[in-house]
Parts: sequence; structure tokens; C-alpha cells
Amino acid sequence: MNTPILSVRDLTVKAHLDGETRVLLDHVSLDLAKGEILGLVGESGSGKSLFCRSLVRLLPSSRLKIEDGAVLLEGRDLTEVSDAEMLKVRGAEIGMIFQNPTSHLDPVMRIGDQISEGIRYHQGLDACAARAAATEILSQVGFPDPLCQYDNYPHEFSGGMRQRAMIAVALSCNPKILIADEPTTALDVTIQAQILTLLMELRETRGLSIILITHDLGIVAQTCDRIAVMRGGKLLEQGPKRQILSQPKDPYTTRLIHSHPSMPGVEPVTEAAASTVAAPVKPILEIDDLHVRFPIGGSFFRGSAAKTISAVSGISLQIMPGETVGIVGESGSGKSTLARAVLGLTPISSGHISFEGVDLAQQKTAGLAKLRREAAMVFQDPFNALNPRMTIGQTIGEVLAVQGKVARVDIPDRIGELLDLVGLERDFADRKPRSMSGGQCQRAGIARALAVDPKLIIADECVAALDVTIQAQIIDLFRELAASMNLTLLFIAHDLAIVRNLCARTIVMYRGEVVEDGPSAQVFSQPKHAYTAALVAAIPDIDPDKPLLGNAEEASGSIRSIKRMP
Amino acid sequence: MHRYRFVLLRPLQFLPVIFGISIITFILVRLIPGDPARVLLGTRATPTAIANIRAQFGLDEPIWLQYFYFLRNLGNGEMGKSILYKIDVLNLIATRIEPTLALVICSVLLSIAIAVPMASIAARNAGRAPDHAVRIISTFGIGFPPFWLGLMLIILFSVKLDLLPVSGYGSTLGDKLAHLILPSLTIALSLSTVLTRSLRAAMIEGLKSDVATAARARGMPERIVFWRHVLPNSLVPTINLLAVNTGWLIGGTVVIESVFALPGMGQLLVRAIFSRDYMVVQGVAMVFACATVLVNFLADIATVAADPRVKL
Repeated sequence: MNTPILSVRDLTVKAHLDGETRVLLDHVSLDLAKGEILGLVGESGSGKSLFCRSLVRLLPSSRLKIEDGAVLLEGRDLTEVSDAEMLKVRGAEIGMIFQNPTSHLDPVMRIGDQISEGIRYHQGLDACAARAAATEILSQVGFPDPLCQYDNYPHEFSGGMRQRAMIAVALSCNPKILIADEPTTALDVTIQAQILTLLMELRETRGLSIILITHDLGIVAQTCDRIAVMRGGKLLEQGPKRQILSQPKDPYTTRLIHSHPSMPGVEPVTEAAASTVAAPVKPILEIDDLHVRFPIGGSFFRGSAAKTISAVSGISLQIMPGETVGIVGESGSGKSTLARAVLGLTPISSGHISFEGVDLAQQKTAGLAKLRREAAMVFQDPFNALNPRMTIGQTIGEVLAVQGKVARVDIPDRIGELLDLVGLERDFADRKPRSMSGGQCQRAGIARALAVDPKLIIADECVAALDVTIQAQIIDLFRELAASMNLTLLFIAHDLAIVRNLCARTIVMYRGEVVEDGPSAQVFSQPKHAYTAALVAAIPDIDPDKPLLGNAEEASGSIRSIKRMP
Repeated sequence: MHRYRFVLLRPLQFLPVIFGISIITFILVRLIPGDPARVLLGTRATPTAIANIRAQFGLDEPIWLQYFYFLRNLGNGEMGKSILYKIDVLNLIATRIEPTLALVICSVLLSIAIAVPMASIAARNAGRAPDHAVRIISTFGIGFPPFWLGLMLIILFSVKLDLLPVSGYGSTLGDKLAHLILPSLTIALSLSTVLTRSLRAAMIEGLKSDVATAARARGMPERIVFWRHVLPNSLVPTINLLAVNTGWLIGGTVVIESVFALPGMGQLLVRAIFSRDYMVVQGVAMVFACATVLVNFLADIATVAADPRVKL
């Protein structure tokens, strides 16, 4: 290995909170070689983002201080240089991209101007030259029409293009090092593959060194040269990726590797599905030629029906009692709309939904009343789906009181039982979402859904916002609940690996239509539709020898992603 | 420029709004107790004289017929005759609109000129001495009623320091502006506090936002981060607040014009109410209401200009 471009020695960051001092980064030492991609892995709170911010001295709060250690960028200690010098390092020598391009791009500034801003400041070019340079970078990161797209605003692009724009901003001043903080977590799996490929290409063409922060070991296995594992502010281990993945030294790393959903996990719950095939049971949920359309661009004068966009177009499905069904597809494929329509949260345009034989369109009041007593939803964002002013006990108690299935005096006991079911301590009943972690909040959300004593649970991307280890726990919880309570589970996710592990049956949605429906094993091993094949191929596998994308390149040629390019 | 198409279409929506406003002002004015004919002729007027005046101004007709005449006149560009001034209300308003309009515009501009720097200082030093200073000044601005603040400003700048005119309105442009400084400042001192607080909150949010972090991460100095990224983003929510407050301000000119003896519409309105000059009251009320609608329209245009995501 040649001399490292960046060498971090004993970096220690402490937080000073009214008299109390907490160590957030504990003597972290790392080397980054030129042209290397280093994967920094760990769950949220492990300090991996803080570590990268400390490198460029962008600490999130003035209460945090770099107490000890050195950050040597080509021999220069960045913890010592002046603030003015640091401005030249940021952007010009170390570029950063972030998890959420939507919130990190300035919404009221043209994309191109955000790129040329850095060029003008760091390289002192005039407006014209900077514009030319920015246009060039836009085309390098894959904008098809950079001359025109220079003048577009961030909201006019899809998530993937926004992330490309973020990369363009970070690359504008030719940095030597790129820090990518969870760059693909917010993206669909096919887009994720494209962004990762782009990063690897840029490494080749520009000789860039990249620090890739992620919680997904699959991404690391596919893209990185070396892996560093962090937990609780400490660096647990680091080394070449094959060595770490095959012979992890630290037990935590072993656990991380095993919780990765692409590992052949527990067999999906098949017994329930098998029994339904045998006996002629009526479907619990029957969807017949469902259409959901949203008006767009309607105005006061032209009426509301001027134009519509079809979110769900002509879906027919039968869900049997006790089935675990996974619905996958990219964002925008209509899977959430389908779930909301089933629960009567979004008005349907045409077609029928029957829940246990009651048609929701024809007997609206009766149907909805029945549905709301026997079906429940678990939402994507566990924090925002819980009322911040209510304790968990109050939240669950509210449902119990409204349902009236449990006598008022028994409600506290029932709350306790529900918390037991989802694996939360009973004293969580007195806590508010604010003082709980994401995983705990999601458990509370599930407890609230179970409070209805439902036959059907619809979970909409309910693990997308959680760390891998927590994800695995929640998935296990769903698996147990589905088996023990004979629940019918409609599990919506963009993460195919999770669906493959949890669900017996998988439905693939593409542009508002069902393109594939069948037993999970079959859908994933022998996808019939080209879109399914592309989706499956784009999952980053934890085995570094299975190349990323596989045949996704050719598949994506025939099937365009839903994401429009303006 | 299809985002701005609403500029052409929106005024059509104003027609029903203005129609509604006309009905409401028409009815409200007639709910004021008292008889204009009696006010005009004094307490010793004979019943016949009063009846004559009532017939002359159409006050003896049923109310719906009066409203019909009012609409018909409005179609002809007339708002009826002032009972007190004996000229058409629209002409009367035209002679009084300039000081009020100038006062509102000066006040709004002045309060923006006060609020933006104050909020910037407060937000960039959040939790430190300058922030507290701005908060104390703001509390004073809200705490004192405008009429009292106006009188104090007159005592300080006009009486003690003799820098500015006490009251009234000038004839040349410079003279007029000199007369407008104190009344505008009075309004701006209280209006700017509301804006400052909204802007400060948005700016503090903005300084902590991902947009600011991303700008810092590409090496932008704090100065550029603030003025180029934080400020434009925090203006958007403040525009609507300003619009709502300007609507309120248009009505509020009544007080300030009285304190500073500005010959504007506020003064006209007060006098018209005292003399039960129905036509003038409803004319001025309609102009005020339409102005408020117009201000909100302008705010919509400003919002669309400031935030490319907004579609109307």
C-alpha cells in the first residue's frame, strides 16, 4: 500500500453538556490510501457520521470539541490549521455528499448555480467559465442534457438525479477525497446500483479516494476495498473487505453480517399459506380491477378533472387469511397508494375492494367500520406516526377505548399485554416517543396496530427508517406475530431482501400494475418479468464475488425506471 | 413562464370576492345606528326637511333597492354622492388615497429594512447578547401602542430635536417624504417586530439546516452560507406573514393618520362614520377591502418568485 492520503490518529471528540462530558469518538485511527474506497460501517449512533464531520471540522454543535488526535491530509494536520485555511480544504480537497439530497440541496437555487458557486469561490473563475465547468461536471455525473438542466431547480429532479447533482456539487472543485454519508439509503435499489456504479467510475477516472459510510454491508461488499466497523464511538476493527466479511474478529461484526437480509435466513412462513391452498377458504381481502387516479394541475377554472395521474391502474388481487404477502416496487410504483386505498384512506376511482366479503365501495360506512375494527396499519416513520404529546400507553389506550372490545377497566392490563407482545418493557407505557429510539417507536407502532386485534396488518415500509440490526429484530417480531396470531400480513417494502426473508408470497408492482405475483422463492429465483429481474439483480449482495448489478444493465435498457428525467 | 399564468387568471377570482365585499360593507354601514339626514340637518330640523333629504339620497327606498342602485352606479364608475362633501365618493377617495398609499408602502419597506438586519443579527448570535438585545427591542415595539409611540416620536424628533415636521402632509415630494418618516416609523416599529421574530426563527432553523451544512461542506464561508442560502430560504414563510399584517395595517392607518393629521383615507373614514356619510363609509371600506385582496395577490406573486417549488 502506498502512503495514505489521509491518516487519522487517535481522533477523540467529546461532548460537553452542562457539567457532564461524554466521549463520542474514542481514539479512532484510520488510513485512507489514494484511490481507495473505504467502507465505514455501523448502526446509527455509532459515530460514523460524526467521524467524517470531524475530519473537516464541521461538528454539528458548538458543544462538541475535538479533544485529541490528528487528521493528517497529505501530512498537514487539519485539526491545527486556521479556520480560513479550513474553508479551502472543504470542497476543494475534501468533498462531501449526504444521505438526503433533497434536504441538502438548496431548494430555491438552480442546480447549476450550486455547483458553480464552489468553483467560483475556490478557483476564482468568472461566472461564464464557472458555468462551463459546472455544465461539464453535470454531464460527467450522468445528466443527459446538462446545458438545459443547469437551470433546473432541485425539486424538478428525481431522487437519483438529485443525488447525482449532490455528487456534482461535491466534485466541482476537484477534491482528492470524497466522503459519502449513506449516499444511497434514501434511494430505490435500482437507482442505488446506478449511484454506486457512478462512484466507482469516478474513482477510476479521477483517482478519487472515497470514504463510504453505510449501514448496508451489501453495499460495502460490492464497492469497497477495505472495511472499518464502528460502534459506540470506537473503531472495532478494520481490514480488507474479504478478510472482514469472511473472518470477522469482533462479535459485533459477526452479528452485523448475520443480520444482513441477503444472508439465507429463516425459511419464510409457508405453513399458513399451504393450509389455505388446501381448504377452500374465502379470501380475507379481494381487490378487483382497482384504479386510483389523482388529479393534477386542476385549477379553479378548468375544474378538478382536467388531468389525472394513475397511481394504481387495474389491480386485481386475492389475499387469503393467514398469508404473508410482500409488495415490492420502486417508489412511485403505487404500492403505498394501494395500501392506503385498501384501508379507505385514499378514495378509489373505480373497481372494488372487499374485506371479508363486504364491499368497501358499496357499503362504505359499514365496510369501513368493519375494516377499521379488523385491519390496522404500521407506518414508515415511527416517530411521526406517533403523537408526540401522548405517552405510548395513552396512544394504545385511545385505540382500545374507541374500539370498545376491551372493558375500560381492563385497558391498562391489555396495554401491558400488547407491550409484552412487541417486546417492550411495560414501563414504556408512560414514555413519550421523544425519549425512545426508532426501533422502540416502531414496536410501539406495531403494538398500536395490534390493539385493534386485527386480522389484517398492512405495514408500509415500516423498517425502511431503521438500522439493519433493528430491522432484523422488527422482521423477527413480524414473523413471530404472524405465526402465533394467524395474522394476515401485507408487507410493503422497497427492500427486496427483507420481503424474500419474511413473506411467503411476493407481488411486484411497476407503474401502478402488478407485473409478478407468486411464491417468494420462485419470484426471486426465476423472475418472469424483466423488471423483477432488474430489481433482483440490483440488490447489493454481501458476497463480494457476486458482482453488483449483474444483468441489471441490460435489463434497465429495456425497462426504464419509473423515475423521469426532465 | 407558465408558473406565472395565475397572474392573469387570479384576478377573475376577485370578482366574486369583491361582490361579496360590496354586500357586506353595504349592509354593515346601514347597521350603524343614527340617521344621516338628521346628522346633516342638526337636531332642530323639521320632519319634512329630513324626509326631503332622505328622498334626495334614496334613503327612503327599501334596502335591496338601495343596493341595486349602488351596484348600478358602481357599474358607471360612481359610488354615489357624499352627503357631507356633496361630491362623488370615488372622486373624494381619489384626492385622499395618495397619503394613505404612500404611508402603507413606506411602512412596509421600512419594517423590512428594520426586520432583516435585526433578525440576521439575532439569528447569527442566537442565545448570546445581541440576540437578547433584539428581543428586548422587539418586546418594546410590541408592548407600546402605536398611537402612544407616535406621540413619543413626535415629542422626541419634532418638538425636542426639531428635525421633522410635527404633523400634516407636504406638497413637494421631499416635503411629503419628510412628513411620512415619523408615521411610517411608528407603524414599522411595531410591524417589524412580528417580522423579526418570524425571520429569526426561520433563520436559526436555516443555519442548522442540511442546506447550510452542505454549503459549509463545500467550503463556503459563513457569510455566503448565510446571505446566499439561509436568507432566501427564510424569506418564503415571512412573505405571507407580511401580507396578512399589511392587510391589518391598511385598516390600522386610521389611528396613525389621526395622530399625525395625515389627510388620508383613514381620516376620511373616521369623519364619515361620525357624520353617518353612508356612501363615503362604504366606498372607503370597499377600497380597503380591495386593497387587502390586492396585497395578498402581490404576496402570492412574491411567493412564486421566491420559491420555485410553489405552483399556484
